[in-house]
This record gives sequence, C-alpha cells and structure tokens, in this order.
Amino acid sequence: MKLDVELTPREQVPRWMGYGTPVFTILAALAVSAVALLALGVSPLAAYRLMFVQTLTTSFGMTETIAKAVPLIFVGLAVYLPLKAQLWNIGAEGQLFLGAIAGSWIGVNVSLPGYALLPLMFLAGGVAGAVWIAVPAWLRAKLGINEIITTLLFVFIAAEIKNYLVRGPMQAPGANFPQTAQLPVAARLPELPVIGFPAGIVLAIAFVAVIHVVLNYTRLGFEITFIGANDEAAEHAGMSKLKIYTVVLLSGGAIAGIAGVSEIAGVQGRLRAQFAPGYGFTAIPIALLGRNGAVQVMLAACFFAVLFVGGSSIQTLLSVPAAIVDIIQALVILFLITAEFFKQYRIDLSLGERPDPGATGSVEGDL
Amino acid sequence: MAGLLTGLANATVNASTVLILAGLGELISERAGVLNLGVEGIMLVGALSGFVTAFVTGSYWLGFGVAILAGGLISLLHAFLCISLNSDQAVSGIMLTLLGTGLTTYFGNSWSGKSISGFPERTLPLIGDYLVEIPVIGSALFQSTVTDYAALALVPIVWCFLYRTNVGLELVSVGEDPETADTMGVDVFKMRYLAVVLGGMFAGAAGAHLSLAFNEIWSASMTAGRGWIAVALVIFARWRPERILLGAYLFGLFNALQLYSQGIDLTLGAGVPLAGLVNPVLSFVSNPTIMSTYPYIVTLLVLVVTVLRAENRELAQPSALVQSYSRELD
Amino acid sequence: MTEDAYVRMEDITKTFPGVVANDEVSLSIRKGEIHGLLGENGAGKSTLMKILYGLYTADEGRILLDGEPLEMASPQDAIDAGIGMVHQHFKLIPRLSVSKNIVLGMREPSARFRGDSDGLLSALTSARAVSGLARRFTLGLDEPETEIQSLADDYGFDIDVTSKVWELGVGERQRVEILKALYRDVDLLILDEPTAVLTPGEADRLFETLRELATEGLSIIIITHKLDEVNAVTDRVTILRDGEGVGTVETADVDADALARMMVGRDVLFDVDKEPVATGETVLEASGLRATDDRGIDALAGVDLTIREGEIVGLAGVSGNGQKELAEALVGVRETTAGRITLGGEDLTHASPRTFIDSGVSFVPEDRHVEGCADDLSVMHNAVMKGYGDEAFSDGPWLDYEATAEYAERLVDEFDVRGITDVEEITAGELSGGNLQKLILAREMVREPDLLVANQPTRGVDVGAIEFIRERLVEQREQGTGVLLLSEDLDEIFDLSDRILVIYEGEIVYEATPAETSRRRVGLEMNGGDAGPASRQVAVDGGHGESR
Repeated sequence: MKLDVELTPREQVPRWMGYGTPVFTILAALAVSAVALLALGVSPLAAYRLMFVQTLTTSFGMTETIAKAVPLIFVGLAVYLPLKAQLWNIGAEGQLFLGAIAGSWIGVNVSLPGYALLPLMFLAGGVAGAVWIAVPAWLRAKLGINEIITTLLFVFIAAEIKNYLVRGPMQAPGANFPQTAQLPVAARLPELPVIGFPAGIVLAIAFVAVIHVVLNYTRLGFEITFIGANDEAAEHAGMSKLKIYTVVLLSGGAIAGIAGVSEIAGVQGRLRAQFAPGYGFTAIPIALLGRNGAVQVMLAACFFAVLFVGGSSIQTLLSVPAAIVDIIQALVILFLITAEFFKQYRIDLSLGERPDPGATGSVEGDL
Repeated sequence: MAGLLTGLANATVNASTVLILAGLGELISERAGVLNLGVEGIMLVGALSGFVTAFVTGSYWLGFGVAILAGGLISLLHAFLCISLNSDQAVSGIMLTLLGTGLTTYFGNSWSGKSISGFPERTLPLIGDYLVEIPVIGSALFQSTVTDYAALALVPIVWCFLYRTNVGLELVSVGEDPETADTMGVDVFKMRYLAVVLGGMFAGAAGAHLSLAFNEIWSASMTAGRGWIAVALVIFARWRPERILLGAYLFGLFNALQLYSQGIDLTLGAGVPLAGLVNPVLSFVSNPTIMSTYPYIVTLLVLVVTVLRAENRELAQPSALVQSYSRELD
Repeated sequence: MTEDAYVRMEDITKTFPGVVANDEVSLSIRKGEIHGLLGENGAGKSTLMKILYGLYTADEGRILLDGEPLEMASPQDAIDAGIGMVHQHFKLIPRLSVSKNIVLGMREPSARFRGDSDGLLSALTSARAVSGLARRFTLGLDEPETEIQSLADDYGFDIDVTSKVWELGVGERQRVEILKALYRDVDLLILDEPTAVLTPGEADRLFETLRELATEGLSIIIITHKLDEVNAVTDRVTILRDGEGVGTVETADVDADALARMMVGRDVLFDVDKEPVATGETVLEASGLRATDDRGIDALAGVDLTIREGEIVGLAGVSGNGQKELAEALVGVRETTAGRITLGGEDLTHASPRTFIDSGVSFVPEDRHVEGCADDLSVMHNAVMKGYGDEAFSDGPWLDYEATAEYAERLVDEFDVRGITDVEEITAGELSGGNLQKLILAREMVREPDLLVANQPTRGVDVGAIEFIRERLVEQREQGTGVLLLSEDLDEIFDLSDRILVIYEGEIVYEATPAETSRRRVGLEMNGGDAGPASRQVAVDGGHGESR
C-alpha cells in the first residue's frame, strides 16, 4: 500500500477560492499563532479578543488603528501598483525613509502657513521617494537587473542616510539627540473635526480612489494590467513595456515617499534615528492579500493596522511580546503563497497500487 | 600606527567570520538556483537556539550543533515552498526573515540580557604561538575562537565541494540549467533541497557564532542586518567561494573602519590646495554611518558592471537562479 | 533483411488526446547504417524517436534490440541500452567545461577510488559505503578527460576538452553533444535536425564524422526534412506521413521527386467557393529583408515579397525556415537587419508595432497563448488588446469599458465564439483552442485591415472551427484585404491561396499559382528541391504532370 499524491494542473481557479483565500489565510495564520500564545501560557481567545474586539470597540483603539492604517495603505499601494505589472517593489521602506527625510527637512526649514506647507512637504516626499526608486527602476528597465535585489539594497542605504542626517546636518540644535527638531504646528497633520481621526486618512483614501480609478477606468490602467498579464502579447499589441515599468515603479516610489511624510507629519512629529517602522516589508503581505483591487489593499492595510495596535496592547496588558504580530504577519504570507499553489493544482490523494506509469502524461508539443 | 593597524586587522577579521559563514551558505543555495532572502531570520534562529542550549547545558559545542540543526530545519520550510510548491522565492525568503525574527524575539524575550563566557580564543596547536607573533595580522588571524577557524577552513572545503566533487558538479549544473541536468540523470529536486538546507545550516552556524563567540549574549535582532549583507556579499563575490573570503574581509574592513574612524582624522591640512573643498567630502566619506552603506553600494556597482560586461553575459549569475523548475513531461 | 536489423520498432502506436501521432509505424535499423527519417511537421517523426529514446512509452507495439524486446521507462534506460540522442536544442551548460558537461550524471569517482590498484585501498573501495562516498564526494576527471580528448581527436573534432562550453561555437557544441553519446558507448545515435543550426561547411564536416562513425559499426538515425541531406549522407530512408509509415527505401534508388511524392501524398484539390477577385493596388512590398531569430542566427536571407489588395498569398514552408521571423518582421514585431518594408506606399521599415497596427496591419500569431492573448484576462480585455486606444473606446485618458464590452460581444457574435456567458467574466485561458483562435481572428479582422498576416491560423483547432476560419479568410480577401497566409498544411495553402510562395532557409525559392503547380512540386521545394541551384529558380511553370 502506498499513498499516492497526484497533482493535476487546474484549468481554472474555482471562484470560491479566488475570493475566499484572504479570509482563509488570515484564519489559518491566527490559528497557528495560537500555538505560540499557548506556549507562553496565554489563552489565544483572550489575546485575540483583546487584539481585535477591544481595539475596534474603543475610540482610542479606533483612532490608533486609523493612524497606523494611513502609512500602511500608502505602502500597500506602493507595492500593489508595480505588482499589477509583475514588478516587486521590495524597497518601499527605503522610499519611505527618503520621503520622511524630505518632508521633515521642509517642515523644519521652510516657513509657510499650514495649507501651503503640508502640500509642499508631501510633494517633496513624493519626489524623494520617486528619486529613490529611479535607479533600480532604470536598472530593471534597461539592463533587466532584478528589481528585488536592487530595491532591497537601496533600503539599507536609505536607512544609513537617515541615520547620518539625523546625527549631523539635520540634527536639532541644542541637545545632542539623534533626531531633527520638532516640526512646527504648521507642518503637522491635524485631526479631523468631530471624529478625531488623523487627517492623513483622507489623503490615503484619496489615493486608493485614484489608483482604483486609474486601473479600472483609464487606458493607462488597461496597459498596466495587460503588461502584467502577458508582456509579450502586450508588446505585440503596441504597448511599451519600458513606459509602463517606469510609470508604475516611479509612482510606487512616490507613494511610499508620501507614506514617510504622513508618518512624520501625522504621528512622529520629528524624524528620529530609531524611526524604522518596517511598514515597507509589511506592505508585501498587504499587497498580496489585496491583490484583487485597491480597495482590498486598503482593507488589508486596516487589518494589519488592527494587528499592530492590538499587538502592542497585548504586550502591555498580557505581557505577550509584540513580536507575535511579526509571527502572524509571516504566517499570513506563508499561507498566502501556499494557497497560490492550491489555486494552480488540484491534489488527489489515494491509497493503493501505483498507477501504470505509461498511461499518464499530459503532453503537448510537436509530433 | 602599528597599534592602529593591528586593531583594524583584529576588528576586520572578527567582523568577517559571520559574513563568511552566512555568505558561503547563501552561495551554495544560490548556486543551485534558489535565492534565500531568509538568511537574517535563520541566523537569529541559530543564535537563539545555540545560546539557549549552551546556557542550559553548559556545552558550547552542543549549542553550536543545535544551532546548525535548527538552521537546517527552518530552511526546510523555504525549500519546500520554493522547490516543491514553486512559490515565489523572494517572497518566501522575506517571509522566513519575518518568521525568524518574530519567533526569536517572541521566544527569546526571557533570555534577553543573559550572558555566557562563550568560546574562548585559542591559538593553533604547535605553530600557533609563532604565528601569533606575525606583525599586524598575527593576533587577528591566529588567536581566534573555534568558529573563526571553522569559517576560514570552510572556504577551501566549499570550494572543493563545488568544483571537485560529483555532488558539487550536479549542484552547480542544477543552478545553471535544471532541464539539462534532469536529462543527464541528475536529481534536480534533491540537489536543490540539499543546497537550501546546507545554506540554512551555515546560516545557523553564523548566528551561533554571534551569540556564542562574538557577542556572547542574546538580544533580539542581534544580527543587525548581517544576513542582508551576506546576501549582498554573494553577489559581490559573483558566486565564487574564494571571493566570499575576500569580500567578507572587505566588508569587515568597512565595519572596522567605522569603529576606528573617530580616532582617525582624515582631513587635509589647511595649507593643501583645495582643502576647503575636499575636506567636507572626506569627512562625509569617512563618516561611520555613511561607511555602513559601502557594502551595499559596492555590491550594486559589481552587479551593474557584471551585467554590462557583454562578453560573459550568460555567466553573470547562475543562469537558473530564482527560476523554479518542474517537469512538464511525465 | 530482418536478420540484419539491429533495432526494430514494430507497429508502434502512440496517441495523444485528439490525435494519433504514430499509427502502427515500423522501423528497422541495421548496424552501421545511416538511416534517414523523413516527413513533414506533424508526420510523427519526433514522437517516434522520443519513444525510441525513452521519453515516451508507446501505447502499442514493441521495440527489439538485437532481437530482444526492450522496455524503457526513461532516457536513462535508453542510455543503458546503448541509445543516445543529440537534440536540436543542445543540452549543454555553458559555464562548465566540455569534459564536465560530458561526465555530468555519471558520478565517476577519482582515480584513487576506482578500484584499479591492488591492495588495501582497492579492498576498501569495493565496500559499497566507501565507493558510494567516493562517487559522491570526489570527481574523477583526469582519466575521463584523457579518454574524451582522444575520442575527440580520433574523429577529428578540433576541441580542447578543458575549454568551457560558452567559448565554443555552434558547430563545436554539437560535436560535444555527439561526444556525450560516444563517451557513453552508444550503439545507436539519433540526431534531431542536426544541420538546422550549421553552416553548409559545418554540415559537410558533420556528415564526414557520421560516415566515419557508421563505418565503425555505429547505427545512426537522422531526423530531417531536408531532401539534399537525405541524399548526401543516408543509406536508407523511412518516410512518415500523417502518423503512418509510407515506406523505407534505399537512398540510392530514389530521387528527390519521388521522396517528395511520398512525403506529401497524392494531389487532391478541394473544392472551394472561391470567386475570382480582381486584385488591386499593392498593399505590401518587402524587399531584401534580413532578420535574425531569437538566438541571433540569421533567419531571413533577403526576402522579396509583394501582396496586393484582394489576394491571399499562401506561404508554404517547413517550420524553422524563417516563416515565423518573416511574419513578425512584416508586422513590426521583429527588427529587420536589412531591407525595406513599404505599406500602401509608406515606408515602415523599423517602425514600431503600434505604427504597423495603426497603418492597418493585423496579425494572427503562431502561438496564441504566448503572443496572441493574456490568458488571465477577460475576453473583453483581449478583444480590445490592440484597439483600446481607438476613438470608439477612449476619450482622452478614459477608457469606456461599456463600449469595449459591447464590442467584445459583437466580436463573439459575429465569429461564433462559443462558451462565453459573460465577456467580462470568462477569461481567454478558459476558451478552447478553436474558440480562442476565432476570438483572435475576430479581433484582427473586424477592424478591416489593409494587410492581414496569419501564421498557422488553423493549427490546434477543431474541425468545425477550421472551416469557419478558412471561410472568414476568403471573405476578408473579398473585402479587399491583402492576406499573407503562412501554413504547414498544404491542403489549406492550395485551397485558399491565389498565389503560393515557398520559403526555404530564409529565402523565397518558388512561386506559382495553385493551378500551375502541384503539391508534389511544392513539397519538393519546401524540402530543398532537387539538389543543385538549377531547381532554385522561381519557376512559374511548376512541374505539374511532368514525370522524370
């Protein structure tokens, strides 16, 4: 008797799989992480209740969640857009740093009233982010060098540049801390009236809407989608791979740069050496979870925001290390890529004799 | 001056061991065609498991062994995802780094701050006492811990393995052209699994070196990005073991210069022409934080130059790197 | 004669879903002979050899080696039985040396462990554990290297076996492939279209080598479609047609004409509802076109071509002679290295694909999934793959998906594309071959192009769809489009074309109207014609009815 595993490629993905996958992967990740919680003697149900229910039902929890969601939505989009063209922007974190640097610099050094200063900061941040991805983008477009490695290397370079600047040229005068001066009020993102959410959420939602519209209602969106689906056929059809690659990568870089500005202007208040939120890497599971649309990306970002906020509350209240959030993140990615496999192949398990080796074989090709 | 050079040499060699170990491991994996971006996470797993074992049992050797095993085991996950399930190698690797970092920070919480005395520094038997006397590099190279010596010894061993054994030949062929290798009777899957697990074991060893010999403590994220430098190192070394050694020393030198740069004044005297222009540039270039970017910048340059050199275009990297392989035919 | 046979394949049948690749085919090879396997694309030569080589298993029939039945489950079994194959696309690793490429997979241990010497080491070595380790962790290269080098020298291969494969030229690499087989002591060597990548000089040297090998007792099978090759080097030749064996003849007894007749079959002209249409202006004029293929090898060697309004020009040729590259060059997808392309009077040489499309050129590519559509996108997306920028669908930056959906529905309707419930939900990948092809044709034809280039439009398509597609091509011609039809199906070429061209080794070697020529003649030209330049003239008066 032997266990036979037969893999047959699927003709098409069952509809329920396409839409149900994000939900299943989240549930699976939470289930496995429960083991880690149990290992520390914590009841998973209590922890999850605190993490999710508590966070979402208190006004403090909601505000914190929205505040966390803002940069996550931006970086999620920054990875999502290039991904539509089959490009991986692993360097979102680095572009975020550059945006933060540019934004802080302008915020501290340029005196303008808020309604002029903030847009200027965001503009500078976007440009900085785009500049930071420009070299890897060019290397990919012209020399075919894999953008995964290059954008990643640029992240580490960016981190050190940030460290250098806050200890040197951009350091706040007076005390010897590795941080810039506090941003003036004019450079701070206000809170929305009535609901008290950070104003950055408005900008984030606006970007979600713009990306959604571009991808679904414009010619550019059509081209991006087609290039991502089959770049060879697209080039046969007259589309320019070079143009599309440049557009999506630079846009992604700019959006990540804006994420950086929104963090500094909305939450941090100044640029510190320790500023290394890791959002650029969280953006990867966010983009994967939300790969069906910009709105889904936003929802995925919100999920992770809840996760982060909940994570720090169980750290405070239950003494569970906040690293559980990293574990859950990693497991989400793990189950997502496993799910990809199940979408492509059907697995048939059977016990019994080996099938005749000559009988099988789906063979195409020349005769 | 001699003292400065000796100090630099010491610091360089000390910093290089981790990179040699992790770099060699990643090299083996990539030579078989599988990119493993999870090195940072695997190193942490090795560091924690090694440390805990050593702390609890009192045996550093056991700790080292457990770390190697743990590294191999966790990289099996990456191997399964990439080789059997044909998942995106980059995403799987990043997932592994997140997982490794998360797990070790989570479970290592209670071990934070504890310390052990770690592997002692030893000289080689017989000739060791003479070798140490060599000016400048003597004490750097020949008064080290067992893991430092192991790392050095592994360079020629890995070289031999890849270029002078049949298994090595098959491993390399799998990373170049899995279809051809398959036709020649090579077991592509087995070779790739082997390569990834070996890579993980090396990374585990690198992590153990950190917690058992280099720092002799455990703290969360103690690898401080060395795993990523190892990935860059493999590219810098253009996938050859002997260049891993050179590259590790170079990157280690950058590291060492950072430590010593406070004491070095690189500015030109006021009398030298153009001093006013050049000095700011010099102090920028010798700033320790800026120096931490050199490994990455140098790697980028090597990457670009290698691809630009048209003559060897098809040899820029293992040809089947990052490509998954599956037999279409029965 | 049967006692002579070294290898016999008896009544081999192999079926794939929907097609019988080999139908009770028999083949017998003598020791020391060079045997040609001749046939058109789709005749079944490749399948038959893959069975002999262990890659496929036959559904019925058997293989006898030296009188004994041979069961093979993998290429390794074939090698063990002494059967080696030199593939058309070399299986070599450029980074490694010649010798390493050759010994790969054999796990030869180094000299010390080979058990040659006496004494303790030899005794140890025979222990399985030790020899297992030795085979894995050592690499025996010196002895094999000497052996391989002397093998190479014996056959006049001018190769340094320590050199890396990337340093070698194409002809040398092929010799390495042959060395691979020789080193493994094969008794039967199969070569798949060996001269496809060689210059004539290199081909001659190859033939010399093969003759030498045959003299020493090696049996050789050459898969080819080139008649001059068959004449030059084979002793006997077996012809396959449409999956069946047509016969085996002594090469000396037949001429190219006879071979062509056997390959192509008798002349059968279908009745097609084709009205004579007055051809109009010149739509396309191409002169002196040269281009390289994806590997950088010359594919087009100076092609001249004219297509007028209202005519279907059929281009016949065996795959690999430049058709694909010509089709791509004429629609702007492939860069030409020399020559001119004029469309409706305008010079479009070196223009972008977009310019060609906007100038009224439509293209149905050979490989619909790779070049013709995006499998994961909806029918609607694919319907406007080229036309999304037209005024009908776009206004400034905006794309009107309602209009595109309507258009897609119109295409589906007019071209009877089945299996579509919702143009926006169903993806192109979900359509059957025939329906997808109809969709692509719809996309390319409904826009009323001036020039339509269709490369193998009915390949892999069910019978019903084939009829439909052919009718549409004729219809397009009636509407005044100039059509270039590339097809390996001579029936199709003869049915539909107003003029027939034959491409061989990157040049147009023959032109005639269907009435003036015969399938035998066209088949002959497709495979190189009679050996010698005389037959290469563009002859308007084909050999219809002539006998030799």
